[in-house]
Amino acid sequence: MISLESSIIRLKDVFKKYSPDNIIFSGIDLEIEKGEFVFLTGPSGVGKSTMLRILFCAERPTSGEIWVDGVILSSLSNAQVPYLRRKIGVIFQDFKLLSNRTIFDNVALSLEVIGLGKKQAEQRVMQVLEGVGLTGKMSHYPLRLSGGEQQRVAIARAVVNRPSIILADEPTGNLDLQRTEEVMMLMEELNARGATIIFATHDERLFENTHRRVLRLLDGKIRI
Amino acid sequence: MTLAILCRRAFSDLRQNFCAQVITTMVVSLSILIFAFFTLLYFNLQHFVDRFGTELGLTIFLTEDTPKDRIPSLYQKLTGLSEVEKVTYISSEEAFGRLEHFLKDEKDVLEGVDPQFLPPSFEIQINRAVFQLKRIKQLAGEIDKWPEVSKVQFGQEWIDRLYVFSGLVRTIVVITGILLLFTAAFVVTNTIKLTVYARQEELKIMRLVGATNMFIQGPFLVEAFLQGLLGSSLALGIVFASYRYLQGFEAKSELLRGVSICFIPWHYTAAIIASSVLLCVIGTALAMRRFLRL
Ligand SMILES: Nc1ncnc2c1ncn2[C@@H]1O[C@H](COP(=O)(O)OP(=O)(O)OP(=O)(O)O)[C@@H](O)[C@H]1O
Ligand SMILES: [Mg+2]
Repeated sequence: MISLESSIIRLKDVFKKYSPDNIIFSGIDLEIEKGEFVFLTGPSGVGKSTMLRILFCAERPTSGEIWVDGVILSSLSNAQVPYLRRKIGVIFQDFKLLSNRTIFDNVALSLEVIGLGKKQAEQRVMQVLEGVGLTGKMSHYPLRLSGGEQQRVAIARAVVNRPSIILADEPTGNLDLQRTEEVMMLMEELNARGATIIFATHDERLFENTHRRVLRLLDGKIRI
Repeated sequence: MTLAILCRRAFSDLRQNFCAQVITTMVVSLSILIFAFFTLLYFNLQHFVDRFGTELGLTIFLTEDTPKDRIPSLYQKLTGLSEVEKVTYISSEEAFGRLEHFLKDEKDVLEGVDPQFLPPSFEIQINRAVFQLKRIKQLAGEIDKWPEVSKVQFGQEWIDRLYVFSGLVRTIVVITGILLLFTAAFVVTNTIKLTVYARQEELKIMRLVGATNMFIQGPFLVEAFLQGLLGSSLALGIVFASYRYLQGFEAKSELLRGVSICFIPWHYTAAIIASSVLLCVIGTALAMRRFLRL
């Protein structure tokens, strides 16, 4: 038995179907400990992104209960969802950057929505941009950046408000070996500082030699 | 602090979508302008009817054989009535004098005519405060029954017609008001929908990184508030300028002197501005509701 207190994410009998013949999850039970770093893997289209989307309430499950940081998601009203999301940093598979804002402003958005002071926000954005090696491009617009650079902006935005949970959806999908290595180091560092990380990827190499837990999605279930 | 941030964001949005904002404001302004002109017309007609009614007063013609010594007691009786403001006695001679004055150069047609041939009369001015067509009609009927009175005259038909007309104008004002309300609401919500639609990706992303609905809606609501306020103020400003312009005419023209046009009462003006603002803000909030789920 895993004690309830230590698990920050818990799913119980979660189903998700878009239509009767499009069933993504058929009964998922899962517990993730506070401070854990898990990999979520499985073939393309199996539902990795959907799982993450359900966890930050961008999608509601068809049935089942989900607890995130002590909150039952089904009890959250639309108005409460933003407050949950502030505890979760999401690195989107498709980046979701604002094309009409500079890199700096894109990263600052996470801090802007929580009403952090301008000075403090600026300091943190600079710090994070330095971490992903994009200080020189902070006044550029996303569309003028390479895929890998855009991905690193997405990572910077997800971690800038120091969330306790990080949901990373293929954060290394567009990166070369060296950049991938750097992102993995960054993730390790964030995890070492206490963040719980769910890392969705289909790239087996990333967790080949790891001691971390690997959750394999297949046919709507998790196999460990 | 937060209000300052809100306003800064609203103004930066405003700059980005300046054209759409101007168009929306213009539509609001135009709708209010049409409505305000009808309202102005209505209040002036009402004003005119009321004035006309009180100024018209009653004329009470006495029978020719009324003895002169009955006049003071009749005078007393009339002044005692609460509806009556002022009573003037016009003797046969005075009436004749007026007729002569009226005819001016052609007064020789009256040569040889008995100055007593016109009946003596009372002219009554109605108290403005109690002016009410029904009461005046009633009063006229009662006075008509007095034995000394031969006929009571007042511009009843005129007043009746004017009242019907002003009722008609009121109906028009109400109907245009409602129609324009819908048109403006429709245009405002649609422009907002277009703006929001064009930016829905941005709004979605904001929501995904933890922005509350209020944070997302805030700038739009501030813009709507400004649109409503500026649009209606502009329209009422134009109506007011036209009113002052007409007033200038009135002072110059012999014909219009005494018509004395009035402006829309200030609390109606305030109500028009308030409803315009409310309309824009509520319209925006409703138009955005769809974009703020999950
Ligand atoms: N809104 C939707 N309506 C219907 N089906 C959907 C919807 N969203 C996702 N799906 C389906 O759910 C399935 C899982 O999609 P998801 O994006 O979670 O896969 P994934 O595991 O992240 O794949 P990849 O590795 O390619 O990113 C897909 O088959 C997709 O077609
Ligand atoms: Mg995916």
